[in-house]
Amino acid sequence: MKGYLGEFEELVLLTIAALQAGAYGVGIKEDIEQRTDREISIGALHATITRLEEKGFIESWLGDPTLERGGRRKRFFRLTQEGKMALHHVKALRDELWRISKINLALPQ
Amino acid sequence: MSAVPRPPRLPERIFRWYCSSAQVEDLMGDLEEIYRQDLTRMSAQQARRRYWRNATVLLVSYAVKRRKQHAAHHPLSSNTHPFMMLRSYFTIAARSLAQQRFFTLLNIAGLSIGMSISLLFIAMVTYISQYDTFHVQRDRIYRVTTQVLDGDNNREYASAPLPLFEKLQQECAAAGTVVRIQNQLASNARYKENDVPLAGYFADPAFLDVFTFPLVRGNPATALQKLNSLLITEKAARKLFRDEDPLGKIITLKEYGEFEITGVLRDHPKNSHMQFEVITSYETLLAWQKIQPKSLVGDSWSYFHGNYIYFRLADQAQLADVGHYLQKAAQSVYARPDQYRAEFHIQSLNDIVPGPELYNSIGPEWGYLSLYIFAALCLLILLPACFNYTNLSISRALKRAKEIGLRKTMGGQRSQIFQQFLTETVLITLLALVGAFGLFLVMRQEFLSMLVASNALELNADLPTIICFILFATAVGFVAGIVPAAYFSKLNPVQAIRNIVPSGAWGSMFLRKCLMVFQFALSLGFIMSVAIVLKQYRTSLTFDLGFDKANIVDVQLQGVDPGRFRNEFSKLAAVQTISLSGSVLGTSFPETEYVVQPDQSDSTFAYSMRIDQHYLGNFGLQLVAGTNFGDAPGEQKNQILVNEEFLRVLKLGTAIEAVGKTVTLPDNKEILTIRGVVKDFYYLLLNERIQSFFFRYDAEHAQVANVRIVSNDIFQTFTDMENTWKQLGAEAPFEARFFEDEIADSYVGYFSMVKICSALGVLAISISCLGLLGMVVYATENRIKEVGIRKIMGASTAQLVMLLSKSYFRLLALAVMIAVPCTYLLFDKVLLRIQYYRIDIGVAEIVVSIGLLLLLGLVTTLSQTWRAARANPADTVRHE
Repeated sequence: MKGYLGEFEELVLLTIAALQAGAYGVGIKEDIEQRTDREISIGALHATITRLEEKGFIESWLGDPTLERGGRRKRFFRLTQEGKMALHHVKALRDELWRISKINLALPQ
Repeated sequence: MSAVPRPPRLPERIFRWYCSSAQVEDLMGDLEEIYRQDLTRMSAQQARRRYWRNATVLLVSYAVKRRKQHAAHHPLSSNTHPFMMLRSYFTIAARSLAQQRFFTLLNIAGLSIGMSISLLFIAMVTYISQYDTFHVQRDRIYRVTTQVLDGDNNREYASAPLPLFEKLQQECAAAGTVVRIQNQLASNARYKENDVPLAGYFADPAFLDVFTFPLVRGNPATALQKLNSLLITEKAARKLFRDEDPLGKIITLKEYGEFEITGVLRDHPKNSHMQFEVITSYETLLAWQKIQPKSLVGDSWSYFHGNYIYFRLADQAQLADVGHYLQKAAQSVYARPDQYRAEFHIQSLNDIVPGPELYNSIGPEWGYLSLYIFAALCLLILLPACFNYTNLSISRALKRAKEIGLRKTMGGQRSQIFQQFLTETVLITLLALVGAFGLFLVMRQEFLSMLVASNALELNADLPTIICFILFATAVGFVAGIVPAAYFSKLNPVQAIRNIVPSGAWGSMFLRKCLMVFQFALSLGFIMSVAIVLKQYRTSLTFDLGFDKANIVDVQLQGVDPGRFRNEFSKLAAVQTISLSGSVLGTSFPETEYVVQPDQSDSTFAYSMRIDQHYLGNFGLQLVAGTNFGDAPGEQKNQILVNEEFLRVLKLGTAIEAVGKTVTLPDNKEILTIRGVVKDFYYLLLNERIQSFFFRYDAEHAQVANVRIVSNDIFQTFTDMENTWKQLGAEAPFEARFFEDEIADSYVGYFSMVKICSALGVLAISISCLGLLGMVVYATENRIKEVGIRKIMGASTAQLVMLLSKSYFRLLALAVMIAVPCTYLLFDKVLLRIQYYRIDIGVAEIVVSIGLLLLLGLVTTLSQTWRAARANPADTVRHE
């Protein structure tokens, strides 16, 4: 498996997957901010996206010009096969760990 | 709905500029989207602030960095070292320069000439800026200057009244160590059989402490303590003592008596504003003045010629304290507003050279004003050369358009093309620097010899100067190259590659023509200046001064008894008459006296000269009324001969009436009777108006003997005179000059002006002609086909030459029309105003100047157009 997937990277990948066709810079940012209730910087987000793209986990294309962005186009992202594989890999790793440590992780009722 | 809110402009622009050609459209879109959302949630100001922050964060993020690396043709996108690119520019520049040899040579020649005079200026400024830097304590040394408030000129003097010294020393602790200097020590020094003229200062012992003039021999603490102790520089010591050890030797200064050498000073650097050969104590001067019958140095608050006060600020003292003290001192000393008034200023040693122009300066001082004028002249020569380069480069656009088009098509960036052209220009200016340096070496000596204070200036090409030269050449390259570089880098590749060059660029030739006209007007101005100044010079020499100046030889008496001189010299066959006088007429400022009419109603400054009874006759001065001095010296001691102006100013009536009237010299209460009236004559240089003048009788103290000679063999006469001189037992060598030569010498200022104007004129004309040549060559080359076809259709050579040259003739004519009135006005209204008795600018000068300019312009133009018109159309039309 190439590349280590960081926590924030995983979050971004999953959000892109969740947003499906609507995954672009500001969209991703808002979605993460809503779900995690924390503010993320646009610079950090784009840096992460760029790294993900370099690793080949996502691919991007430019959309149509939009009015609310001063006529500029959005760059949309979607997961590549490798991206999906990476997520699956992480999930499998986690599931396994969960299964093993289930007893210890049980929260007191 | 109101207009769509735009995000703040500045961060947006910075962002786009920084990202340059990188793909960041989506990022900017994100920024704007966030901004608009923010606007709905918070105040506009907050939203703007957040936009700034977001843009900054994004700008430094990995995302932008990465995209920039991937961007096409961004300077940062290439992995090559920046110097690699510079090397490439350099190679291309060298190739294109080598290819266009003619234009390269033309440009190098033009820029060399243009830069040469600036190099002189730079070398001079570099040297002057290092003045007085050898004084260790220079940051604490100051000089007191005096501004005389006469309500008219308010002249500022570098000197200061002597009594101020004591006041300052006793009453102002902040002034620290105060030194007074008197610079009128000039005397012949005698040691054994050696007789050497020496000049220097009287100075307080603290002089050696305050200033850094180290002693090679002797003890600096005691060297100036005793009366009549003398310090001598190594150079002067070698002259006077040859190989002997000077220390402890006794020498005789002609006016001042015997002195003991108590120290040997190391030769001070040339870049010192104090220049001296000997230093003696100030007390010596005071002691000497006491025994003089009439004090030559006024001990008053209003006379302070040659007297200087320097001080070294006390430790931890504030300069402002001294300033306040001096202000108060001036107020208390010059208390009465209706009388002589002055105030004192403080000048730092560092501000003396270069500094403001002061009167009565102690040594060489380079004023700002003269430097500014020089700088302006340099620019006047340099800028046309730069224009020429710009002009020629752009005219070559057609030739280079394809190259640029191709470059751009292949991915050449605008900034790269810009840099490449700039490199090319800088390369040319650096090459031109070599030529300019050659010219600099040639002109250097001549330039130095034209300056008055040349002994205080060196134009060495030392390392700092060379560095300045190179920086200067690079700067010139930028100035000259920026316009062509901008123009070429802007070219549209599609048009350029198809050879469609926007001909309307660069102000549709208009600006170029303006520059051409300006250059030729400038050249014509210089030529005319030379002609006018030459005429003024010639006129001054042949001007009727009101006396007969031919065949008079002035002999400096140098202490020889006038009576004996007369006796011996009268025996010579060639000598016709001999008269005696205090100074030489018409060449320098005679003595001035303040004269008052007896009833005190009128007063005036008058020039005076001491003569004997033969003077008037010898010089052919005409008496209007009264009688000449007689042979009895005693009774005519208080009698004077005045000029007509004297009568007018003092309102003494007609010449006949004035004889017998008396006037007073208030300085020493002398009452003088007018014995005769002399017709007005020019006793000064012609730049001064004739003013009141009187002759006094004094044959005993004459300095000069005026010998009228009649001789066919001047050389033999001089030899005879010299032999006679030796018989008189005089120690000094025979010094005699023709009066006419002395007058010619005093107009030498004109001659250096002629030289300067000619030099500048030659430079300006060369540059203009090179520029014109370049333009003509280019234009005829472009029209060669047209010329060929015209020729085939039957046009004659003359017609073709006319066709090609017409527009240049028009430019020349325009230049003449501008330059003639401008130069005329400049000289008529400004420069010749300095000259009181001046010439009128004649038609001849103007015509000759114009003729010369047109000749040069026509030769330049016709040489090229003639060649083009004579070319065989079969060759030219077939081309391509």
